[in-house]
Amino acid sequence: MKKTNPSFLNGIPELLVLRLLAVREMYGYQIVEEIRTKTGESLSFGEGCIYPYLHYLEAEKQVSSQRREVAGRSRNYYKLTARGRKRLEALSSEWRRVTSGVSRLMGEQYA
Amino acid sequence: MPEADFIETLRCRLVELGCPLAQVRRLVREVADHRDDLKQAAEAEGLSGAAAEIQAMAQLGDPLALAEDLAATLRRSSWWGRHYVITFGLLPVLAVPVLWALALLLELFLLVGVLGHGWNLTKIRPMADDPVTFSYLLMIFHLMDYLAVAFVALAFHRLARRAAVNRKWMMIAFGLCSFYSLLSWASVEPHTFSLGFSANLHFHMHYEQWIKGMIPPAVAAAGYVLHRRKVQRFLEQVPV
Repeated sequence: MKKTNPSFLNGIPELLVLRLLAVREMYGYQIVEEIRTKTGESLSFGEGCIYPYLHYLEAEKQVSSQRREVAGRSRNYYKLTARGRKRLEALSSEWRRVTSGVSRLMGEQYA
Repeated sequence: MPEADFIETLRCRLVELGCPLAQVRRLVREVADHRDDLKQAAEAEGLSGAAAEIQAMAQLGDPLALAEDLAATLRRSSWWGRHYVITFGLLPVLAVPVLWALALLLELFLLVGVLGHGWNLTKIRPMADDPVTFSYLLMIFHLMDYLAVAFVALAFHRLARRAAVNRKWMMIAFGLCSFYSLLSWASVEPHTFSLGFSANLHFHMHYEQWIKGMIPPAVAAAGYVLHRRKVQRFLEQVPV
């Protein structure tokens, strides 16, 4: 039986965060900024709201964190774990499935 | 709102919402780091220190709403927190009798081990036949029974704190623990030991039953007082 998509739609912030952390480790502010700039400001997190997501992902062992001092500033850096990488693959393929389905429908009926 | 007030409001609200203190410390520190980054970015755009601070605060939004968000995510991050109705409303119905029986049996096993110098039953049997020694053993047995009930209540207390659930659910779990403690019985006679449950709840129960029933609320009250003290000490510290 095919799964329905509400859980996937709730997982978009998770997908974005995991995708960014797949490239390099980052701290909260950097992630918020990257999402804003790389999506052309069409998507953005509320400033403080990134931390619950990061802590949730950490509790799920999809990311790990380390407090480190860089250029005189001490911050929590987050990086992707092996489990996070697997989750990213699953979410990415789900994303492709949903977007191709939506595109097909939009192309057929509303082009 | 000044920076210090924002952080303090966030910290107090997170504590009020029942978030574990270690998590609160970490969240507050990260939000403070974030605020510094926002301020730095605003200053880099050419704003003065005061204007940069105002902009950073505005971007962070309402500290109370942020605290609610953070607490909700903390709850969702554990299985117990996500399924709090099952954990604190249904699980005690199944787990309390089993945990209580297991804890009591484990304690008895250890006691027999200590008294019998390594489970040598020939050394224990004469104790059961001597009425004075047996009366002491009976007293120890009742204490162990109370301890087993306290252990079960403590397990649910710890679970509720870790899951950062609403106090109402913690109280429901304690209520169920108390109810089951009133129904459970364990009896020891020379050379005989039995335990079980009775659905016969009445006011003329033996006083030991009533003591057992009062243990979970006592654990809840003690846990609450200790937690309040910890919170008090935590809030007296300088946040960041």
